[in-house]
Amino acid sequence: MSFATSVVNNTPIFGRMIYVDKSTGLEEINAWPALMIMSSFIWLVVAGILGLALPATQIFQAGEDHYYTAMTLHAAALVFPFSVQLMMGVGLHRSGGCVGKAITGFWPAMTWLTMNLGSAILTVAVLMGLKVSLMVMFPLPLVGAQMGVWSMESVIVGFTGIYLVLASMILFYPILIFKMMFWGRKRPELILSERSLNDPGMLGMILSAMVLFLTGLPLVVVGTTLLLALYKILPMSMAAWAADPVVFQYSFFFFAHNLMEAMAIMVASAIYATLPLYLADGSRKLISDKMANLALWILLVTSITSGLHHFITFYPNQPAALSYWGSVMSWSTGIGVALSIFTIFATIWKHGLKPEVGLIAVLIGWGIYIFDGASAMVTSSIAWAYQLHGTMWQSGHTMTVVLSMALMWMGILYHHYPVITGRKLDPALGRLYVWLMSIGGIGVAMVMLMAGADGMPRRIANWHQENWMFWGNLFMFFGLILGAAFLVYLYNLMKSSEITATVGRQLARA
Amino acid sequence: MRVARDGRTGRPGEPIEIYKEEAIAMLDSVFTGWGAFWAVIAMFAPFALMGIYIVRRKSVSDTGPSPLQPSEFIPLEGVWLTFAFIFFVIINLAGLKFIPWAAAAPSLTAEPAEPITQAVDFTAKSWAYDLSSRQIEAGKPVRFSGRSSDTQHGFAVYHPDGRMLFTMLMMPNTTKATSVVYTFKDPGTYKVRCLEYCGIAHHAMQDELTVVKSN
Repeated sequence: MSFATSVVNNTPIFGRMIYVDKSTGLEEINAWPALMIMSSFIWLVVAGILGLALPATQIFQAGEDHYYTAMTLHAAALVFPFSVQLMMGVGLHRSGGCVGKAITGFWPAMTWLTMNLGSAILTVAVLMGLKVSLMVMFPLPLVGAQMGVWSMESVIVGFTGIYLVLASMILFYPILIFKMMFWGRKRPELILSERSLNDPGMLGMILSAMVLFLTGLPLVVVGTTLLLALYKILPMSMAAWAADPVVFQYSFFFFAHNLMEAMAIMVASAIYATLPLYLADGSRKLISDKMANLALWILLVTSITSGLHHFITFYPNQPAALSYWGSVMSWSTGIGVALSIFTIFATIWKHGLKPEVGLIAVLIGWGIYIFDGASAMVTSSIAWAYQLHGTMWQSGHTMTVVLSMALMWMGILYHHYPVITGRKLDPALGRLYVWLMSIGGIGVAMVMLMAGADGMPRRIANWHQENWMFWGNLFMFFGLILGAAFLVYLYNLMKSSEITATVGRQLARA
Repeated sequence: MRVARDGRTGRPGEPIEIYKEEAIAMLDSVFTGWGAFWAVIAMFAPFALMGIYIVRRKSVSDTGPSPLQPSEFIPLEGVWLTFAFIFFVIINLAGLKFIPWAAAAPSLTAEPAEPITQAVDFTAKSWAYDLSSRQIEAGKPVRFSGRSSDTQHGFAVYHPDGRMLFTMLMMPNTTKATSVVYTFKDPGTYKVRCLEYCGIAHHAMQDELTVVKSN
């Protein structure tokens, strides 16, 4: 039994949700992904509680300090150890089954360890007083320490945690994907559904790993320099260039923006792979692989530089030409999305659909992602950016893009669940989850955009101004529905019933 | 005879200034926070309705394969992408007038841009603003120029009715000040808020501007 299997199968409550079935002979593509998925669900519970704590601190007037603590931890937990780790886990299992290569050894271990250790260390730093939001807001960590708001020790601990998380996403995970795709021995017994890189379902995996690696490297260089200076290994004078706010912010957003885009490319690719398996006529193919691939390439090319829209209101420090470029590229991503919308709808129209719960969950997650994409395009228009930047609109956009992708991965997990665990999920609970998730997800996304349109600032610990508490109460209402959806989903995993290994394997290959 | 909302009239087919003004007035409400929300709904609603219809029909009432061949979808795909492209271009062209730096540029209008005679220079520091002036005349453009002396800050100006009019982002150590030109229409007290999270008293970083009637 591998280390990963041992950890999953011996973890109380959460281990029960994704207990690795050793009898299938697929432990080498199941164990580390299962550990990542299980860990992501632990962080989901943390992120969910903290997310509800945000409006709760306002409703019960618990104080600004608690609000900013919850804000920093909620967003960090939601994005990195939950959403990104879930994507890594399900995506790795899927890739392993497509190329027939084991997910074992140093690289998956380091991917998992750095993500979770880093997130835990960052949590400790926030509890030590470091409240810098998900975006770090550099040079806020250093300024806060200079002003005595938090300690320099908390800054060093926090940066260490952030650095480990970045290493997981930028170095270990992409290298693991490259290694699986291009090197190593293919083992026929591990192949569940063989795919080549020309397949839209695989192309997105490699493109997104490439985006993470290449767009993250500048941030790794900046982060390494700063960390070495914080640990006094480098003199601060040698790290001054990296500590420049403009250098840090641009390298941070060049990566952070593309992290979201990479996740979008990967999940679009996963839909392209999953949808054909549920076509009513059993044809198992998209209407056009070429158009599906073209959409992925358009998304890749346009998204790389579209992140310049984050600095539109920084004019003229960010020249107008760069803002126009960022805006045009952001809207051009819409062309890639429009193409993928057509491919998916035309495929369903041509071949019919078997409306299994997992696939419906994926399609609803995808719908929420399209909704969010529209909000992202609108806010990247320069005229609108001046009236929306810094408002709840942006928080709504960030939360919705992360949430929608997580919802899609949770739907895709329905498909892969039997082969990992040898168990099947209850369809009635699945349908309840889909309803709650649809109402909660769309509701919270809409309400946050409306609050932003109303001028409500993001990351502000006083909602008792203007009419903002009205929106705060609605955040709480839809947040509770969303929380109930997640509870139903996790409960379904816990009470899943056993099927035989042979049937599980056949189901996965079906 | 066409009649504008304010009662002015023009003959059919004649390009009259009043309709242009009305169109611009309509765009004024589109390029606001709520206009952005309705733009999102306008983009999302057709997708959602189409998606619900296709998924429901092809999974419940008519699950069989369509007789259409994949090649027959291509013209429809062309129409769909062309529509999306044209829609995106129109929205962004319409928005050009509302870009603060473009609105101040003389090249976009037939008339020369009004000279900027008012200036508000400020420095943002945790958690307050040091403003050169807090009184502004309505109807005359004012240039806001801001810098940060410690960490990232915002400078968002809110209309007395609660709408956000514009925001600016400042970072320390920049060679230029962040700048916006804006013309206030209505006299009143306008709130200024920091919209970039800047630490534990971020929510308290506020100020006020007074806009008075022009002499």
